[in-house]
Amino acid sequence: MAKHDKLLREANEETLRYITRRHFLLDCVTGLGAAALGSLLTGCGSSVKPVDFSADPMAPRAPHFPGRAKSVIYLHMAGAPSQLELFDYKPELQKLHNQLCPPSLLEGKKFAFIRGVPKMLGPQAIFSQHGESRAWVSDHLPHFATMADEVSFLKAVQTDQFNHGPAQLLMQTGNARLGRPSIGSWVTYGLGTENSNLPGFVVLTSGGKTPDAGKSVWGSGFLPSVYQGVQCRTKGDPVLFLTDPDGMNRDLRKQSIEAINDINRQEYENFGDPETVARIAQYELAYKMQISVPDVMDISKEPAYIHELYGTQPGKESFANNCLLARKLVEKGVRFVQLYDWGWDSHGTDENLAIDYGFRNKCREIDRPVAALLKDLKQRGLLDETLVIWGGEFGRTPMQENRDGKDMPYLGRDHHVEAFTMWMAGAGIKKGFSWGETDEIGYAAVKGKVAINDIHATILQQLGFDHEKLIYQFQGRPFRLTDVGGHVITPILA
Amino acid sequence: MKILAASGNWNLFIGRIHPLIVHLPIGILIIAFVLALLSRSSKRSGLRAALPLLLLAAALSAIASCAAGYLLSLDGGYDEQLLNTHLWLGIGVAVSSTLLYLLTVLNKLPRLQLPLFVVLLLLVSAAGHYGGSLTHGDDYLTQAMPPALQAFAGQQKAADNAPAYTNIADARLYEDLIAPVLSSRCYGCHNAQKLKGGLRLESVALIRKGGEHGPVMKDSLPEESELFKRLVLPDNDEHRMPPKGKPQLSPREVELLYWWIAQGAPTGKTVKELKPNTRIQLVLEAMTPGKALDHNEFVPEATSSSPDKKAIAALATKGVKVLPVAASSPYVSVSCVNAPGFSDADMALLHPLRAQLIWLDLSGTRITDAALPGIAQLSALTRLELKHTGIKGAAGTSLAACQELRYLNMSGTACSSAFLAGLGKNKKLRQLYLYQANTDAPTLRQLQQQLPKLAIDTGGYQLEKLASDTIIYKKKVV
Repeated sequence: MAKHDKLLREANEETLRYITRRHFLLDCVTGLGAAALGSLLTGCGSSVKPVDFSADPMAPRAPHFPGRAKSVIYLHMAGAPSQLELFDYKPELQKLHNQLCPPSLLEGKKFAFIRGVPKMLGPQAIFSQHGESRAWVSDHLPHFATMADEVSFLKAVQTDQFNHGPAQLLMQTGNARLGRPSIGSWVTYGLGTENSNLPGFVVLTSGGKTPDAGKSVWGSGFLPSVYQGVQCRTKGDPVLFLTDPDGMNRDLRKQSIEAINDINRQEYENFGDPETVARIAQYELAYKMQISVPDVMDISKEPAYIHELYGTQPGKESFANNCLLARKLVEKGVRFVQLYDWGWDSHGTDENLAIDYGFRNKCREIDRPVAALLKDLKQRGLLDETLVIWGGEFGRTPMQENRDGKDMPYLGRDHHVEAFTMWMAGAGIKKGFSWGETDEIGYAAVKGKVAINDIHATILQQLGFDHEKLIYQFQGRPFRLTDVGGHVITPILA
Repeated sequence: MKILAASGNWNLFIGRIHPLIVHLPIGILIIAFVLALLSRSSKRSGLRAALPLLLLAAALSAIASCAAGYLLSLDGGYDEQLLNTHLWLGIGVAVSSTLLYLLTVLNKLPRLQLPLFVVLLLLVSAAGHYGGSLTHGDDYLTQAMPPALQAFAGQQKAADNAPAYTNIADARLYEDLIAPVLSSRCYGCHNAQKLKGGLRLESVALIRKGGEHGPVMKDSLPEESELFKRLVLPDNDEHRMPPKGKPQLSPREVELLYWWIAQGAPTGKTVKELKPNTRIQLVLEAMTPGKALDHNEFVPEATSSSPDKKAIAALATKGVKVLPVAASSPYVSVSCVNAPGFSDADMALLHPLRAQLIWLDLSGTRITDAALPGIAQLSALTRLELKHTGIKGAAGTSLAACQELRYLNMSGTACSSAFLAGLGKNKKLRQLYLYQANTDAPTLRQLQQQLPKLAIDTGGYQLEKLASDTIIYKKKVV
């Protein structure tokens, strides 16, 4: 019987999912039928209810155990920055500079672009140790270096995807294929959100492009679509299609939403479908967001010294603006803020993607804002309850890229899956700590290896979840963000 | 349904009726006992006539329950000791209800009948209790207990289960980590009596010996060892161990077992001697006693009574969200992020929650100094956020009564120096935020001396202007 219960409950939730997304279509007769079926099935599949959808699906909920983090800010450097020019200092690699790569590093390995025998590429940055933790940070990040004592570095993160799209999906959804919910969706599904006037999961992009994997990296996958990320912009309308069209004033908008909600309430009285209640709540949130979002997204009212700290320029699309916004959103009780900054794919194919040119410019663009974000969170007492994560989707090779076996016009490195650096800070993460080591040329992880789902397990852990128990039933089996893997990286927990 | 048909048989089918019919003797005996008591008064002596029939029904259903129960127990997978107790208590019920029926019908030893009835009821209760423990696990009740009761029951439990090691590195892999897992999950069927599949798992020698289908462990090759392989088969695979419906090993335990086999199934070796790899290291660290992953210094160790539901509802009407800090915790957090209109007059609403309220966020609300006496009554508080409020800390106000306070955020307030100096009495205070607030240096120095462990953050950070901030890296055009 347990098997049937599962399927029935799932059929129920599935129905609800489509009602969310296709509400208007389902207002027709078939829709009413589906809603009726949904309400009939509610009773059948009520044995386990992880989230009660009958109330506001975004209402705050308690985690498994008291969490250290209330919010998460995830800084994803799309394209994958080179760990060898930023944090993973390898003087031995300098000695091998321009020599041919030894065959032992190439045998049985696959690279995205390297063909034949490439040359080794020594670190293109000057490293020094910083803070009491004596952490190695290169001269590309002089401002961030002052915050080295606040973070825990993960020097031996490993992935199994060497192309951007799948690797970004793996990093953000726990699976390299499409269709899984993103971290932010899982977190808002588990915890809801505190501020009822703002979305719980906000996405901010910079660098001119969205990530290679597309908007699926903030999609809700098989979770109800109410948990997907809401993309906000610093240029133009903060949220697309949220402002009223010309000629419609706020009173008229209010009346129309009230009319729609009245009809929805009647629908709910007739069919008792909990998702209708969620729909009513969403209309109300959208109405509230028309005021609250432009307000929170407006950074022009911030004092001058804050703009100086972050290096922000209101009205532009920039990583700095997004960092300042991330702080503002978290301060207002937004649960998960996801930043994507595009332009880190330093192959050496052109000047913008050169390790010695474009890469340095990217570093400059993020250096001050990241340091400012950490400092600003800290002085407001927010770093204590906000988990900050920085990283790309993979690392870069200690070899110089030789696309198609030819020398490149600029210095560049290929995609590398075996070891790269990420860092975490705040919310119960150790300060001034480093976990994991790579070999003497930064090719392979040798100690403290960390898998992508270990990162996810740790994020959920700090929010108060046992990652093995945050589960959603779909297609006949329970799903988790960490799938069948994941270990909390306990060494970096304070 | 084919799977069920294949694994089903008459024995199991009748056995599974046991949980149904087992409730018949219980109900019948209770009503018979009530009638027997009532019939002692001369007014209702007529009720006595019903007793023989009831007792016969009780005796027959008890015997049927015993038979069905025995058949069910053959399916295995139950805790042996618990099962034995339940079995003998059940037989006791059947025997004594038959005896009582005979005494009643034959009208012998009338003085013994009532005491025997009482004994019978005790037996039924005990048998029922152990039966429940068998199906639902012996923590079924204690898990759902209100915290106050749980504290009483839980303390004893923790003492019983204390591990034999304090540092995981010193734990013996087989004796302290593997054997307890096998004991709780596998011994039930694979022991000297049950011998399912001809296999016993109670010692390494027996594991090496294997079962009727041959060895279950290939030295150092977990992927080829049935002992590991069967743990990771799909849930509904008929070879899956432990079988579907029985308590399963946790993923961590499976990983430990894998490592143990890969190490050549050593005995007497400590974790340290076996040099764990990094993956196992993470598993082991998660199992280290004392460093529980759910530990949080902002939550009291002791439990508390449940929060007042009416108070939570009253706060909800004001837009104030009261939320347990964890699903099963009595402690709550209160956030006014959706209630900027919260004012001094509303403070009384928090008062009923004073024993459970540990995290309070009043930032951006309309509260003033008049709220401070109310806050001071919330003696369980560990985190308090008063950012951007009208709190000034006038003479006579203090938070000295909040002795559990660890985190205080007064950013953006005009709190007085005297108020800050008074925080020296909050011995557990570890974090104080005074960004855009009074940062009177002598007061803070004095406070720091009083509380050396306190981190005072007055903010106002800036980043240096560096020459490299403006350099744009471009290839020089020759």
